[in-house]
Amino acid sequence: MRPGMIAAMIMTRTKAGPLACRRRLRALGRLRRSGPLTLLVMLLCAASGSGPARAADESTRATGREASPEIAPAPASHAAAPPRPADPALRLVSLNPSLTAIVVRLGAADQLVGIDDYSARMVPELADRPRVGGLFDPSLEAVMALAPDRVLLVAGLEQEAHGAALRRLGLAVEVFENERYEQVLGNIARLGRLVGREAEAADRIAAIRALRAAVERAVRGRTAPRTLIVIDRSPLYLVGGGTFLDELLHAVGAANLGAGVAQGYPRGSLEWLVAAAPELVLDLSPQSEAPPSEAPQTKARANGSEPSDALAFWSRWPSLPAVKTGRVLALDATRISLPGPELDRALRELAVAVHGPDIEPAIERELAKRGTP
Amino acid sequence: MIRLSRARLALVLGVLLAALFAVVLVALATGPARIAVGDVFDVVVRGAGSEATRDIVLGVRLPRIGLGLLVGAALATAGAVFQALLRNPLADPYVLGVSGGAALAGIAVLALGGIVALPTQSVPVAAFVGGIVATGLLYWVSGGRGGSGATGLLLTGVVFNAVASAGIVFLASIAGFFEGSRIFLWLIGQLSAVEIDAVGLVAASVAVGLVVACVLSRSLNLLALGDESAAQLGVPVEAHRRALLLATSLMVGAAVSVSGLIGFVGLIVPHALRLVIGSDHRLLVPATAITGAGFLVLSDTLARTLVDGRELPVGAVTALLGGPLFIVLLRRSQARSRLS
Repeated sequence: MRPGMIAAMIMTRTKAGPLACRRRLRALGRLRRSGPLTLLVMLLCAASGSGPARAADESTRATGREASPEIAPAPASHAAAPPRPADPALRLVSLNPSLTAIVVRLGAADQLVGIDDYSARMVPELADRPRVGGLFDPSLEAVMALAPDRVLLVAGLEQEAHGAALRRLGLAVEVFENERYEQVLGNIARLGRLVGREAEAADRIAAIRALRAAVERAVRGRTAPRTLIVIDRSPLYLVGGGTFLDELLHAVGAANLGAGVAQGYPRGSLEWLVAAAPELVLDLSPQSEAPPSEAPQTKARANGSEPSDALAFWSRWPSLPAVKTGRVLALDATRISLPGPELDRALRELAVAVHGPDIEPAIERELAKRGTP
Repeated sequence: MIRLSRARLALVLGVLLAALFAVVLVALATGPARIAVGDVFDVVVRGAGSEATRDIVLGVRLPRIGLGLLVGAALATAGAVFQALLRNPLADPYVLGVSGGAALAGIAVLALGGIVALPTQSVPVAAFVGGIVATGLLYWVSGGRGGSGATGLLLTGVVFNAVASAGIVFLASIAGFFEGSRIFLWLIGQLSAVEIDAVGLVAASVAVGLVVACVLSRSLNLLALGDESAAQLGVPVEAHRRALLLATSLMVGAAVSVSGLIGFVGLIVPHALRLVIGSDHRLLVPATAITGAGFLVLSDTLARTLVDGRELPVGAVTALLGGPLFIVLLRRSQARSRLS
C-alpha cells in the first residue's frame, strides 16, 4: 500500500453527508460531489446490506464543539501516559489523519492515546499508539477502552455516525470540517486551544497565512497555466471546485480546470480531460511513482531532470499541451493534499510545480519584505 | 425450428454486422467533446484533423469501443451458452455468479500485487481461473445435467455472488484506499479503464471462446434437448460440454478482468434475439456475439454522454435495462412451471 492516495481522499471532508444505506438511492446523485472514499463507503454499505450509518441522524450535526468534559468518563484504567497532577492534558483519540497531523505538529502528540489506522500510516512516529480501526470502521469498543476525554473526527462521511454513537456512549466528540482552506486554519486554532498550545497554533496559522500572501505576491503578473490535479487515474478523479486544493491552486496562480467539472472531487471523463487541453497536469495518483517524500521532488521534476512515470502515462495522448511541453508532474499526495498543518509546504511545492524553481527566491524575497521567518 | 440455410445465416449475420458497424460509427462520433461528425470522419478515414481530435477519437474513444466490443460479445455469448447447457432461460454469467468468481480471483491477485510484484497479465489469468472454479461449482450443484430448476440454480448464483462480494469487500478493507477505489470499479462494471496493457491477452481469450462456441453450436442445439437425446444423436456429451464451459469461463474471465462486473448483457441479448431469429444456436451464437458487442458499445455510449464531462458506470446502464427484463423472464418461467 502506498500512502499517496490517502491524503487526497481521506482527509477531505466531502459534503456528501452520512451515507446511510437506506439512503443508497440518493447516493447516486451524491457521486457528483463525493470523492473516491465515499465510493468505497458506498460499496462497503452496499455489500453488507446494512451499515453502521443507520444510527446517523441530524443530531450529529450539533457538533460537540464545547462538549463538557464532565460527561467524559474518568480515565480509570489505562497504563499509557499517566496523567500528571498539574497537567490538564486531555486524553485524545483522533479518527482522522489531518487532525492527528495537526495535534502532532503542535507538539501535543503525547495527548493522543489512540488513533485510526490511516493516521498511523500518515504519521509514522505514532506507529506505536493504540489503533482503533479504519476511517470508516473504527471500533467503538476500542475507543471506549481508551477512555478518551475527547474524540476528534471530521464531519461527513461515516464519521458523523460514529460520532453520534460515541456521544450516546457518553464520550465527548469534537467534529471538525476540513474541506476549505479557512476551515483547516480554524481547525489548527481550535485544536491549539484544545491541547493548550494556542501560541504554537497561532504561529502555525501565521506562517501559513504569511506564505500564502508571499506566494500570491510572488506569482502576481505571471501567466496562470490551465491546470488539472489528477487524484487517481483509473477511475479518473480530479480536484474540483470548492475544495482547499482548488483554493491553493488559485493562490499559486494556476487556473483549475477541474473547478469547471463540479464541486468536490468529481469523477472525470478522459475524453473531457483531453478536450480540456490542460497546460499543466499534476498527478497525485498512487500509480505516478512519486519519489520518496524526503526529497523536494517538485524541484527535480520542474527541472526536467527526472522524467516521471506520470509523463510516460499521459504521453498516450500527445495532443495534451502539458505533454508537449513536458509539464506533467508527479507530486507526492501526502505532502500536498492533506488538509493538515503543512499548508505552507503544500503552497510552496505547488508554486514550484506551477512556475518552476525560480519562484522560490521570489517567495523568499516576499517573505523577507514582511519580516516573517 | 426453421431450417437454417446458408442464405439465411448470411442474411441475418450481414444485417447484424451492418447494424454493429453503424453503432460503432455512432459511438465514434459521440462524446462529451462535441466533435463534428465530419471531423471524426476525417480522422478515421483520411487520418486528417487536428491532433486533439485524433487523440480523442483514436486515443480515447476507439480503444474504449474496442473494449466494449470484446466484453459485450464475450458476456452475451456466455449467456447463450449457459442458457443452453444448463437448460435454464435465466442463466447469465452475472446472475449465476461466474463473473463474481472471476472478479474475486482477479481482485485477490490485484490486492496481492501490492505485496509481490506480479505481471499485468496475471489479473486476467486469475479471473479466468476464478470463472472456471465458479462454473465448476455451479455445474456440480446443478447435478451435472443442468435443468435442475430455476430456483436451485438462481439460489446458487445468489450465494456465489454474496460470497464473491463478501470476499471482494474483505479484500477492499484490508487492501487500503488505492486498491479500494479500484475495487469499486470492479464491482459496478465499467469500460473507462485507462490501463489496458493486457488487452491483447483479453482479445485472444475472447476470440478462442467465440470460435469454440461457434464450432460447437450444433452440439449446443442437441445438448439443449437433453443429454440422452444428444448422446443418441452422436454428440460426445461430456467432451463438448467441458469444452464449452472452459471456453465460456475463459471469455467471462477475460471480460471481467478488464471491465469488472457488467450484468445482464448475457440475459438481454440472447433472449431478444431468440424472439426474432429463433433458437438455432448455429445462428444464435454468432448473432449473439455481434449483437452483444453492439449492445454494450451502445450502453457505454449512453454511460459516457448522459452526464456532461463525467462518466456513469456502464454496468449501471445495463443493469437498469436488464433488471426489469430479468423479472419478466422470471415471471414467465414461473407461470410455465405452474402449468407443467
